[in-house]
Amino acid sequence: MKIDLLIPGLPAKADHFLFGICSLVLIRTAGRTILFDTGPFRIRPTLIKALRQRGLAPADIDTIFLTHLHWDHVENLDIFPDAEVLTPRSEFEYAAAPRPNDWGTPPYVREILRNMRVTLLPELEQEIFPGIRTLLLPGHSIGLQGLVIDTGEERAVLASDALWSARDATRAVPDVAFFDPARAQASLERALAAGEVFYPGHDRPFRFKDGKVQYLTQYRYELSFPFQPLGQSFGIGISTAQTMSGEKRP
Amino acid sequence: MMTLPRITLLFSGLPAFADSFLPGISTVALVHAENRLMMFDTGPYAYRPILQGRLRKLNIDVGEIDTVILSHVHWDSAANADLFPNATILLHERELAYAETTSEHDSETPAYIGRALRRLRLEPITSEPQLCPGVRIVELPGHTPGSIGLKVGDALLAGDAVGCACDAATGDIRYMAPATALARNSLKKALGLAAVIYPGHDRPFHVGPPVTYLDDYAVRIRFFTDPTGPDEEIRIGSFAPKSFASWPGD
Repeated sequence: MKIDLLIPGLPAKADHFLFGICSLVLIRTAGRTILFDTGPFRIRPTLIKALRQRGLAPADIDTIFLTHLHWDHVENLDIFPDAEVLTPRSEFEYAAAPRPNDWGTPPYVREILRNMRVTLLPELEQEIFPGIRTLLLPGHSIGLQGLVIDTGEERAVLASDALWSARDATRAVPDVAFFDPARAQASLERALAAGEVFYPGHDRPFRFKDGKVQYLTQYRYELSFPFQPLGQSFGIGISTAQTMSGEKRP
Repeated sequence: MMTLPRITLLFSGLPAFADSFLPGISTVALVHAENRLMMFDTGPYAYRPILQGRLRKLNIDVGEIDTVILSHVHWDSAANADLFPNATILLHERELAYAETTSEHDSETPAYIGRALRRLRLEPITSEPQLCPGVRIVELPGHTPGSIGLKVGDALLAGDAVGCACDAATGDIRYMAPATALARNSLKKALGLAAVIYPGHDRPFHVGPPVTYLDDYAVRIRFFTDPTGPDEEIRIGSFAPKSFASWPGD
């Protein structure tokens, strides 16, 4: 059993657009190569590159675990046309006619899933592969399911957006709980009690050490903005390398 | 007296680059004309709740939009065409064919976009029809096989045929691939047609010479780098103080 973070979720908000960069995790276990969520379109080249760096092509992914059917988790499904897609039945049925005010679920998400080999998961916590159990975490969306993976040494909780960022854990309140806030609150507590290592939907994996969040990885992003027609670009780098929990920035 | 057609910019495009995601910050505009309310492009899905919020602020109900013009079918232009229940969707016949034959690994066009669009009331066009006095379609192929723009008075909503002011200032395709002869011809055609251009990924500008922007730009991005500390915030350009309290609905 190997849990491999392909892309760490990014806890960022802009005034102009949603980032939607969620955590994508590769799980390799006896006989299966499982991709946990597929991310938004904007990370498609990065996802393909991350697979290639591991010697994998999209066709090598035989199983996709889709936690829920929000746009930022499903937009790259089409590059895995032959994979078996595991997703909650309640999500799939709801997606046929999402609430009009539900901006997370594309009304055309069933078109994205069309012609795919979909296995619908019942509303039941069960071992779907040896050492891999589903976890019912509704509230962020109608029927979100995460995974608890027992590596033999510890249990990793892949909570998706039931635990949007590590801040949800420190504040004990779910940040993005628009479908059903009461159930989202219960699901956050349930996720945090289910293991020792946590993979949030839109943040880096972490564990608790002396009651504090300790991130397990870093990230850095570079952006550049050409603001004048023939001028220089304005570049920005974002790095967490100085902001490990427990360390103070200078 | 006839009302002159006018443009309201809903989203200003931005020619941004990032090292590990596609920004996809494209232009979306409203076109008001006598008894008509049209949308030019709809942005990436990541605009969705913000687009809905901006229309609400203008007291525009999505049902009032009678026409959506899609400059092309890339992920960052056509993802919200389904938001307008009473709209006819205008796109070029060649573009629809492209959407329906795009390969699984096209770096800009998801394979499901054609199926998603087919659910809508489509009106494929083949020439340069006038939609109402002062408003007509302009064919600008090259960026995609069926790219189109919309001439509104002496301004042109150019889509990605004019990616940014930089391409206009140099007269060459530097920013917006592919830099083919067809794309260069369309850039030249666009620059010869209008006094003001709304590029696909930049602020509107006077064609000049010299090329000059109509307006300033502002971006705010907030990162939760520390779960117990304050957010890190990046501000670029001029901006008014703004709260994230009602994010993302504004």
